[in-house]
Amino acid sequence: MLVTNAGPDAASRAALRVLTQLLPGVSAVEGAAWTDPVIPSEPPILRAAQLVEGATLRAIRVTNASRETDSGFGAFLDGTQSVRVIGHHFGLPIVIGTISAAIRVRSNRRLTTWGHQPPRVQRRIYAPLRYLPQMDMSMGTAGNGDWQIVDTSTADRDGNYPSQHPSALLESATRAVDRDREALEDQLAEAWCARGEAPLFVDGGINRSAKVAASSCALGVIKSHRTLYVEGDALRTVMGLKRGERSSIFRVSPRSRNSVLSWYLRLRDAGGRDPLWGLVRIESAECDRASERADEVSRWVMAETTPLALPDGRWDKMSYGIRDCEVFLRAIS
Amino acid sequence: MSEALGRVVATERKPNTPHEFHFWTAIDSPVGIGTIVRVDGAQPIDGHIPHIYGIVVEGFSYTDLQSPLHDVLGHDGSPSSAGFAATERAEIRLYTAAVLRQIPEEPLQPVPMGQVFLAEEADVQVALRMDSYLREGAHTGIPVGVYRAGGTDAVIYLDADFLLGPEAAHLNITGVSGLATKTSAVEWLLSSLFTHFPADKGSIAAVAFNVKGPDLCYLDQPGRVEESDEKLYEKMAVPAHPFPNVEYFAPYTAKGHTLNTFRNNEALLDKVTPLTWGLREVLQFAEVLLNKDDVDAKADALIDFIKENVVDKEFRDPVLSKMHRVQSFSDLDAWFRDVLQGMEKKDGESWRTHHVATIRKVRNRLSNISTRCAGLVTDSGEVSDLPFGSFADRTVYVVDVANLEEDAQDLIFARIVSKLREHLERRDLGVKHLVVFVDELNKYAPGDGADTYVKKMLLDIAERGRYLGLVLFSAQQFRSQVHRRVVGNSGTALFGRMDADELSTPGYAVLSPATRTKLATLEKGQLMIRHPHFTQPIFVRFPRPAVMQGREGAERYPQAAEIPLDAAVLRALRQLDPSITLQWVQEITALYNEDEVIRARNATVLGRPDNVKAYFQAQFRKIIPVQTPARPMAASIKSAPENDPYGF
Repeated sequence: MLVTNAGPDAASRAALRVLTQLLPGVSAVEGAAWTDPVIPSEPPILRAAQLVEGATLRAIRVTNASRETDSGFGAFLDGTQSVRVIGHHFGLPIVIGTISAAIRVRSNRRLTTWGHQPPRVQRRIYAPLRYLPQMDMSMGTAGNGDWQIVDTSTADRDGNYPSQHPSALLESATRAVDRDREALEDQLAEAWCARGEAPLFVDGGINRSAKVAASSCALGVIKSHRTLYVEGDALRTVMGLKRGERSSIFRVSPRSRNSVLSWYLRLRDAGGRDPLWGLVRIESAECDRASERADEVSRWVMAETTPLALPDGRWDKMSYGIRDCEVFLRAIS
Repeated sequence: MSEALGRVVATERKPNTPHEFHFWTAIDSPVGIGTIVRVDGAQPIDGHIPHIYGIVVEGFSYTDLQSPLHDVLGHDGSPSSAGFAATERAEIRLYTAAVLRQIPEEPLQPVPMGQVFLAEEADVQVALRMDSYLREGAHTGIPVGVYRAGGTDAVIYLDADFLLGPEAAHLNITGVSGLATKTSAVEWLLSSLFTHFPADKGSIAAVAFNVKGPDLCYLDQPGRVEESDEKLYEKMAVPAHPFPNVEYFAPYTAKGHTLNTFRNNEALLDKVTPLTWGLREVLQFAEVLLNKDDVDAKADALIDFIKENVVDKEFRDPVLSKMHRVQSFSDLDAWFRDVLQGMEKKDGESWRTHHVATIRKVRNRLSNISTRCAGLVTDSGEVSDLPFGSFADRTVYVVDVANLEEDAQDLIFARIVSKLREHLERRDLGVKHLVVFVDELNKYAPGDGADTYVKKMLLDIAERGRYLGLVLFSAQQFRSQVHRRVVGNSGTALFGRMDADELSTPGYAVLSPATRTKLATLEKGQLMIRHPHFTQPIFVRFPRPAVMQGREGAERYPQAAEIPLDAAVLRALRQLDPSITLQWVQEITALYNEDEVIRARNATVLGRPDNVKAYFQAQFRKIIPVQTPARPMAASIKSAPENDPYGF
């Protein structure tokens, strides 16, 4: 998932036209201000996970991994989002979010867009409707030029509404965009899994959707590690993984999500660098002979390290297929 | 409609203009440099969807790689491991096309965004404005080659009105030697011209000067035509056979025994006519042969005097011992001798204002002509020439000057072209349009150097010939070294494979680097064409000429070596009467010297009489053979008595 703050000017102008109809008195933001990057929902944490392979978490050399190894992935799934503040109403931020997702299929070593499901691009207005009673929603969608308005001031699971603080509302809008983007990715992943085609390389986790989490077609590769599913010695083991080594398999089963198998894999030597350099976590559906499956998938992920995803700054963990998805989505959204 | 093969793109850095646009294609698209494409605009202008036709002049390819170093790192510095990468990098094929035509033509706007299609045959006609001269009832198209790209085969036509006049005229071909481009292209184009030149535009013929090698010597002999070439002939509706009407002209060798041409093999001699001129013909073009440095105004005045008052006239003068009628170089020499002897007798230093030194110098120079141009210029004054006044339609007249000295080549060129011009001005050449083909234009009309007579003539044809129907087809290796007014006046230009040095000269700066690269690597049978109707150069293929190539002809019909005079006479006369034998020739010529025999042969060949033997024999002066008288029987002083016992 790529987060950028770019947005097409034409879209901003169209959204503003709709807003001025719905909300007289809205102030347009000159030059459209950029939001800060996505604010993580949780602080970095360590969380214990149930080991599936062996009694203790250890480093395992991925067998038969070499430069000549063929990757079994047949496609790549990623999504992008961009967020831009386009107006204020007495300090309350109103943003437009553009989200997109696509599956790029590999054929003869070249990537093309999956023909069965076109890439998805959606643009929405995110506004704190609770604090904007003046907003005339009676105009309906006919006058909105197909713009859907998403309320960013809904109550959370505990029934608390976000503060009226503009930053809190902006953070809430950004999270809403994030959720929409994830939903779009999940739709595509489910469609892929329903067809049971070749293994799909998903950028990020696969455990949001039950169908995807249970499918042998989808494999999630997570590059960010705000939550590390290891503690104590296991943490030292993961941080000490050498290139071509994976951790033992463990089970990730968050409360609100689906249970999947997972393991860490070092793609590049981290010598002299951040200990998370070249480290990814892979998610796979529950299966028999999990060790063999983990080795196989690890080999595939390692095979995807060439060509390099440079100039993307996350090239140490990113596969070229995912970069291709992002470039593609940036071009169409 | 065919499938779109690309999309127009434009950025602020690389915007489209009314004359240029950019588009991308799939990696496996058949687009290349020289491909003609059509853009269908998305927005109508005045109710019409704009169509833009362009030709690809530049191509770019790149990937999303930011630095070559990233690729090195990605493959651990091992090129062989790059093949194992699971995915190929995203790659683009981006092309720049020069606009050939926009429809509607007004308002002329930058090329809009739109889909790009490979031009089909009908598109090619529109793109190159050929539709204006391929109309039913007004078809003036002359096929020059086939444009081929991505499955499209389109015949490219030149407009006869712009190739042979009156709108524009002349054609110039450039290309490196030895790649069968220049001569082959001209041979092919003449075939096409003779086949497709509109009948209502009148008759047409060609005079080709063969200036080197045997290239043009076998135009009437069939050559090898490949299957692929046959298809091209068929496509362009030109019969794949040699020229049915070709006449060759060549002077004799210096000895005068055989014709000085690569085509002097006995099997081919029937179509070769000797080219011989006498004093009158040469003196008209004396300035071609005489060096301006030695022939000053005084000498010029004497030459004019001779031309006006002496040649072909009964000339009397007190200083002369007799009346002279000068008709040949030998007559002229006799006249000079008489003049100089007369002056010596009178001890005079000048005659009719001409100083004796000037007279001696002019005598020396003029007498020298028959030596320098031996074989072409005859002492006797016999003339065997091109059939000025009776040129035949669709006939090629080849004048073989390949083996001649430079002076003789210049003389032949100057005189023949002048005569052609005179006859075309009077409209009595026999044909309405005449193509003159001259190779090695670097030599005859160089961009630098002195203004020679030949160069002035070429400039004159290039600048004024089209009004007369006199069209110059010229060729050379280095266009940049040819006089600018000659190539500049050539409405049509063909380019074969070019030398890189030549391509780096300023004249080619208008071509894109990719087009120049393509020119430097053109295959045999490919040409780049510039024509007044085409706003950009076009690449075409043309078939190998259906005539025997010079090298093959020289192998099959080896050039005859210098042979004894009697054999040479036999060879010449046998073309007229196959019953003539060597023994007969030897009997007839036994009593005569070589000059007399050559004169008799030339007169017979020129006269083409019905009774060749009688005509040939009649050319010799009567010589009564000296008969040794029989020894008379000595009569006895006194007859012996019949009964003389000692008598015998």
